[in-house]
Parts: sequence; C-alpha cells; structure tokens
Amino acid sequence: MDPLATTYALNLLYQLVVLALAGLGLAIVFGLLGVMNMAHGEFMMLGAYSMVVVQRAGAPLWLGIPLAIAVCAVVGLAVERWLIRPIAARPFDTLLATWGLSILMRKAVEAWFGRGYQSIEHGLAGTLLVFDTPYPGYRLALMGGVLLALLALALWYRRSPTGARVQAMVNNPALAEAVGIDTRRIAAFAFVIGVCCAGLAGALLAPLSRIEPGMGLDSLLSSFFVLVVGGLGSLAGMLVGAGVIGGTQVLVSSLLDQTYGYLAVLLVAIGFLWRKPNGLVARG
Amino acid sequence: MRRRTVITRGLSVTLGASPGLGALLSGAAAAQSGPIKVGALLPQSGPAGLFGPSSKNCAMLAVEEINSRGGVAGRPLQALFGDAGQPPAEVAQAALRMWRSDGCEAFVGMHDSAVRGALIGLFKGQVPYFYTPVYEGAECSLGTFVLGETPQQQLEPVIPWLAKERKLKRWYLIGNDYNWPRDSNAQAKKFIAASGGAVVGEEYLPFTVDNFDANLAKIKQANADAVLITLVGGASVGFNRAFASFGLADKVVRLGTLIEENTVAGIGAQNTLNLYASSGYFANIDTAEARAFAARYAKRFGADAPPLNALAQSCYDGLLLLQAMGNKAKGLTVPKLEAVAEGITFDGPRGSSKLEQRHTRKDIFLAQARGTDLRVVQTFKAVGSGQTCKI
Repeated sequence: MDPLATTYALNLLYQLVVLALAGLGLAIVFGLLGVMNMAHGEFMMLGAYSMVVVQRAGAPLWLGIPLAIAVCAVVGLAVERWLIRPIAARPFDTLLATWGLSILMRKAVEAWFGRGYQSIEHGLAGTLLVFDTPYPGYRLALMGGVLLALLALALWYRRSPTGARVQAMVNNPALAEAVGIDTRRIAAFAFVIGVCCAGLAGALLAPLSRIEPGMGLDSLLSSFFVLVVGGLGSLAGMLVGAGVIGGTQVLVSSLLDQTYGYLAVLLVAIGFLWRKPNGLVARG
Repeated sequence: MRRRTVITRGLSVTLGASPGLGALLSGAAAAQSGPIKVGALLPQSGPAGLFGPSSKNCAMLAVEEINSRGGVAGRPLQALFGDAGQPPAEVAQAALRMWRSDGCEAFVGMHDSAVRGALIGLFKGQVPYFYTPVYEGAECSLGTFVLGETPQQQLEPVIPWLAKERKLKRWYLIGNDYNWPRDSNAQAKKFIAASGGAVVGEEYLPFTVDNFDANLAKIKQANADAVLITLVGGASVGFNRAFASFGLADKVVRLGTLIEENTVAGIGAQNTLNLYASSGYFANIDTAEARAFAARYAKRFGADAPPLNALAQSCYDGLLLLQAMGNKAKGLTVPKLEAVAEGITFDGPRGSSKLEQRHTRKDIFLAQARGTDLRVVQTFKAVGSGQTCKI
C-alpha cells in the first residue's frame, strides 16, 4: 500500500477514535439526562491530571486509569447530587451551572498544579510498522482498545437489563417510573458514568495531548460538533458524527490546509444546526 | 478615588498661594520626591497568562534590586500591575487609568503586538514605554524602546551555523497564523537561501488546531531535514509531541524561536530529540550573571516558583534599561530619555546589551534540548536587531 495513503487512512481512523472517545461522556449525559455538561472537558482534564499524579508518585502509569475513574466518580456524584439534581429540569440553568463548574475546576487544578504544561512519558513511544508505514505505537494500541470498548458498550446497552431500564427512562420517564424504575437513581448513575467516561478519555489521551488547566475547552468544542452532526443521545449518532466531523477535518486539512480544515468543520456544524438540528441519527 | 484626587489637587492649589509651603505640598513636588510609579503591563489572563506569574516575579525582583541600588535618578521605583492578557482596547483603557489617574511615569510591557499597537496609539510618545518580549520587528515610535529579540537576531547567525553543523538543506516552515510567524519566516527564507538551503514547505495554522497529523504527513512527504517552528505555546507542545511520536525526531532537526522552558516541559523528555531553540535568554545559561540571577530569583520566590524563561526575564531587562536610561538622563521624560537612548548600554543576566535604533544589540544563545533541559550549545556575541529606526 502507498505509505501516504496508509498514513492518511490511519490518521482518519485515529481521529474518529479520539472524537468518539472524547464525545462519549458528553453524549451519555446529554442523551440520558438532557443536560449539556459544559464541564465535560474539565472532567477529561481531571483524567489527564490523574496520570500526572501517578507519574509524579513514580507508580506504574496504568494506575492513572482507575484513579481517573475514581476521581471523576467522586466529583461526579457530588456534582449530580448538589448541582445537577436541583435544576435538572431547566436545561439553560444546567448549562450555566456546569459552565461555572468548569471554571471552578480549571482554577482548582491551576491552584494545585500551576498554569504550566505537564507531560506524560509512556512505554509505547516508538513507532510500529503498518503495511511498511511507521505509525505511533500508542495510537495503534489506543485505537484497538477503544474500538473494542465501544463495541462492548453498545452490546451492553442493547442487551443488559440496566441498559433496558436506561432506554425506558430516556424514552418515557413517567412510564418508566410507573413500572417501578427508579429514574432518579438511574439519572445519577448516568451522570456519573458520563463523567467517568470523560475522565477515562482524558487519561487515555493524556500521553498524546498538551496537558494544562485550560485543555478541556478544545475537547468540549469538538465533542459538541460531533453531537450536533450525529444527533443527540445515541451511540450510533455519536459514531456517525465523529465520522463526519473527523472525516471532514482530516480530508480538507490534508488536501488543502488546516485553516480550511477548521473552516469546513465549522461550516458543517453550522449547516447541521441550521438545516438539520436533530442531527443525522435522530432519537425516536 | 477620583474625588479624593480632585480634593487634594484643590488643596494644593489653595496652599499654593503661600509659596514656600505650597511648593512643598503641591502635586509636582510630591511627584519629584515620591516613588516613580512604573506601570507593568503583563499577561495575567488569556493565552499568554501562563507567563504572568514568572513575569510579575521578574518585574518585582528588578524593582527591589534597583531600589536597593538607590532607585532611578534618586527616586525609588514602585511597580503597578495591569493585565495585558485582555483585548487591546481594554489594555489601553487600563493603561490610561494607570497613567492619568494613578500617575505612572513609565510603562514596561510584555504582551502581543496588537496590544503594543493600541498602547503606542494611546501614549503618542508622551510617556516612555519599554516593550520587552520577542517580536517580529519594525516597531519605530518616539519614546518606545524595544528589548525583544527580532527574527534577524534569532535566525541570521543561527540558521547558517545549524545548517553547517547538522548538514541541513531542506527546510519546512510551520507557524501559527499571525504576523510574528509570517514576518519571522519572511526573514528566515533569506537566511536559509544564503546558507545554501531551500524551503520545501510553509504552513500557517489557526490557533484552534490541536491535531497536526496532516502537517506531519506533508513534512514527511516533502522530505524535509529541518523544521523551523514558530508555533506558540499549546500548539507548539501538541505539534512537537506528535512530531516525535511519528518517529520524525530521529531524522529531522527542529529549530524553534519560542521554545522556552514551559513549552519544553509540555513537550516532554521523550519528544525532544534534535530539538533546538534560539533565544536571548534561557534559565540555565552558563554565565556568572545568569547563574547569580537565577539564584536570586530562587531565593526571593522559593524553589517552587514558576520557572524562569525568556519572556519573563525580559521584564527584568526592561526595568534595567529604564534604570540605565533614567539615571543617565536624570529623569524619565521622553525628551530626556530620547537624548540619551542611542548607544546606551546595560549589563544584566543576558550579558551586556546596547540600545541601537531603539532596539537592543545583545548575545543570542542556541540551546539544544536534553530531556526537558535546554542546554546552550552555541553563543553568538553582540547580535544586532537588523532594524533601522529614524524619527
């Protein structure tokens, strides 16, 4: 295979994986609770800083993954109980409240770690050959892992009893409650799972990212574009959205340049908001 | 605040009726004997906010040290801080307040060129203004004195030296899309051609880009053996990390003109192979002056203080130049300073600097990254700014 074509194909796949990974938490929280979590990127940041903490302590790096999930679960539980639950029915208020939360989280991390950049050193720094084309080893491992995990998640959502209860709550909360599903508990559960996904994404992407207190904003934007295009609140929609946004970005950037790549992504997002506000995969 | 000023002024005017006492208490006399207020416009927010704490520390250290040496023209300095990380119009508003209400008699600025443009429009040569950071060149205004490295300083001696040392022929230029990278690269092209090299690619990226895969593919395709990086901050971190992860760092030399200590910390030790940086200052320049400065900084602000870097240190130099000029001119008015400006020298952590054409001639250091350390591999003595500025 032509090495350039291989590189572009892998770049495209990588971009899809990153967008899907970063967008998943936001999609879960919005899809299941109708809450636009503006602090989504900051939960990713917590995940990345969990890796920094583990690295500073000299512990094996993979421990950063359970730490990220634990930190986000604790913060997520508290936020759901005392910030989201009292105003959950008011979408605009939750948007403002989570925006405020994002500022608080940025400043807290800044106070603790300073404004400077952090970096993660890892064991997969070399390249591996894919069809005779060198490609970063960590990216390949990440792509494989994330594709498997997404598949498992989709199966769980479709097949498991909890998945069924979640679907019931999403489709008709009143009826779900009437048949004995504790929607409040599921909502809390969904929020915590969503932010834990964000934390996990942040931890997994940490070796590939710039790490600083303000890093969350970029992730929030790209995740938001994905949801706008794909449609809010379904796994399939998120994957389609990641495909359209990632594909547009990679193709236009490679053929023209990055400025046009970004312009194209913005135009696509605006076009969808204008002509197809429910996205490509609208929820039933 | 403002009302009190009016009342005091009224009072001094009234007292002015009796000459001896009035002269003693009037605003003019107070300004002559009290501290010289210097407005330090440093980024406390925004993209350059990262440099805020270290810049403020350097400015404070300079003021304390200058005062311990007797101040400027017999008066101590007092620093007032304003946030230069805001949009230009807002920084200008803050500067106007510091100038007209708070009584600042001089300004030191470490911020982008858009803010500089707004400030020069505001000051109109009526108050001295020392502009300190690395910049693209071509500033020439009455009362404005520039300390930052120009592209000529950072690249004219460095490109031929590095090209010869590392046998570089094919250069790829990549930067963020604004005037500093574009103007730097316009100069770089001349020096690359003069060194016998060729430019095989040139790209400017919006600040929002955090995926550099397309650029890396092009760099590889162009078969570049050197990349000149004028990306800033987070973009530089992301680009350099991705660059190394693709295995390009083994074969391709990288040279940056804004790769400083914070940026290298973000790039990470695994990703800095064959990475060079050109600057007038690095935290671990191995000269007596620089080591003493770093030791004083660590003593004053503690071992955990934000790391020293060229941008922060430039604020210290700005105040050193103000001191040298103010002492020689015996005052800080623009006409007095302009009269002594050309050819004045001062010694600081960077070595000796000389003001020529409202810019500084000084030593330029080329450092190579070793892990996350920037170690000087070559010093270029007394490099001129390549600017002409006649008013």
